[in-house]
Amino acid sequence: MLRRIALELLLVVGVLLGGCASHGPVSLQEVREFADASAKLGGYAELSRRYRDTYEREQPYLSPQADRIARENDVRRKAVYDDFVAIQKTLVLYMQTLSLLAGDGRYDLSARIDDLGNGLKANTGSGLQQRHVAAYTGMTRLLTRVIASSYQNRSVETMVRDGDADVQVLLDAMISLTRLYYKTNENEKKTVLGIFDVEIPFSNRNSDRVLATLAKVHYLNKSTEYKLIDRRYELALQGLTKVALGHQKMRENMDKLTGDETRRMLANYGRDLRTIRDGLNGD
Amino acid sequence: MEKSSQDQPTSQGQQLPTPVDAAAPPVALSASDPAHDILAGQTSTAAPGSQDKGLSRTQHVVELADSLSTIADQLHERIMREIRGYAGGSVPDQVQATLRKLFDDETVLRQRANALYADAASYVIQGLDQPQSRLVALTTDAAHKIRRIGVIGEVTGLVGGLLLLAGAVASGKPTPVVLALEKIHLHAKTLDALTPTPPGPTA
Repeated sequence: MLRRIALELLLVVGVLLGGCASHGPVSLQEVREFADASAKLGGYAELSRRYRDTYEREQPYLSPQADRIARENDVRRKAVYDDFVAIQKTLVLYMQTLSLLAGDGRYDLSARIDDLGNGLKANTGSGLQQRHVAAYTGMTRLLTRVIASSYQNRSVETMVRDGDADVQVLLDAMISLTRLYYKTNENEKKTVLGIFDVEIPFSNRNSDRVLATLAKVHYLNKSTEYKLIDRRYELALQGLTKVALGHQKMRENMDKLTGDETRRMLANYGRDLRTIRDGLNGD
Repeated sequence: MEKSSQDQPTSQGQQLPTPVDAAAPPVALSASDPAHDILAGQTSTAAPGSQDKGLSRTQHVVELADSLSTIADQLHERIMREIRGYAGGSVPDQVQATLRKLFDDETVLRQRANALYADAASYVIQGLDQPQSRLVALTTDAAHKIRRIGVIGEVTGLVGGLLLLAGAVASGKPTPVVLALEKIHLHAKTLDALTPTPPGPTA
């Protein structure tokens, strides 16, 4: 019987040790922060929607001839909108998962093991000695921590290494699309504001005064609106570029993810991304 | 298609110079300095791997669209110069009609350009299925791993069993020993199934 118990114990310890790799416990806090900030960046989704809805905004300003083409464009833009959004959803999901994987302390079970040890201490009528409990608790705490951390570390590595090429392709697509959104918006803006450029100077008769005044007010509102939007394209592009660069750097420094320099660099990317997000939320 | 709209400017073109200086150097505004202006940069930069064909096609379409936008800008500038020539005085009706017509042409050019941007956008999308599905697979895989790491709680259960066993052995009572052993068995089995397969010494 005792031999069997010993065997079980050995087996159990074997199982526990089997999970251990050469990595020590690590903190992947910066990876998690970067991934979180990347997932929450924002901007792209909103600008995709804006792109999709271009026609609704420009329609009142269009001549019949332009309107005909604009309607065709509207159909084209709406046809691909879901695809635009799907790219982003894939990336967000990836980043959220990476963040979970790099979660710090999430899988640290030491507190629970301490509880266990304490609970046991409470009914030590069994004859189990205090120092035994302490030893068990200490050992299991160490083992679970090492398993969790090394496994996590390896998983983060795998994910970043295997994912980087595709992440870069998708981010590149999002950057390209955002630029196209911007260019499309430029033409929309110039169409909407342009009509006032031309028509306001024509309206200088007394009978035109009320109308001309309303037009000027409308023009001012519109031009402010477009100025704010322009800033959003810029921020969104900055953000996407930073995400791409940050992920690339992470892959390049995979073997020294816990090094001070890498951590500092990743922390900077995370901070920049949060600043950009604040900028996007601020307006 | 795109050409035709600018070739037939529809203006009566009396005292106004015809606006068809479309031969003016296309693009110059933004594309000239893509490194500086993040918004104006080339639509496809990184060009990773296999999509070169799609990318160059996208690029061509975008360049064409950029030229149309630029021509529209120049047309607008020309219209505004004409209007400024009247220095706030009233613009004769006939001139107004012509300028309006030109402005209509400008907006048609912009719509043509936007049509090409829409084309380019759908080219960008093409070929992304694979990277997307690979990334989804990777993410799903990672989610599995996370679930497994989460189940490291099982280890705690196992440790509990261990401690129970240690207690039972110390107390010398047989029933708790059997119970504790069963508990350990159960946990060890679960754990076996859940243990991450270590990818060898390389990691």
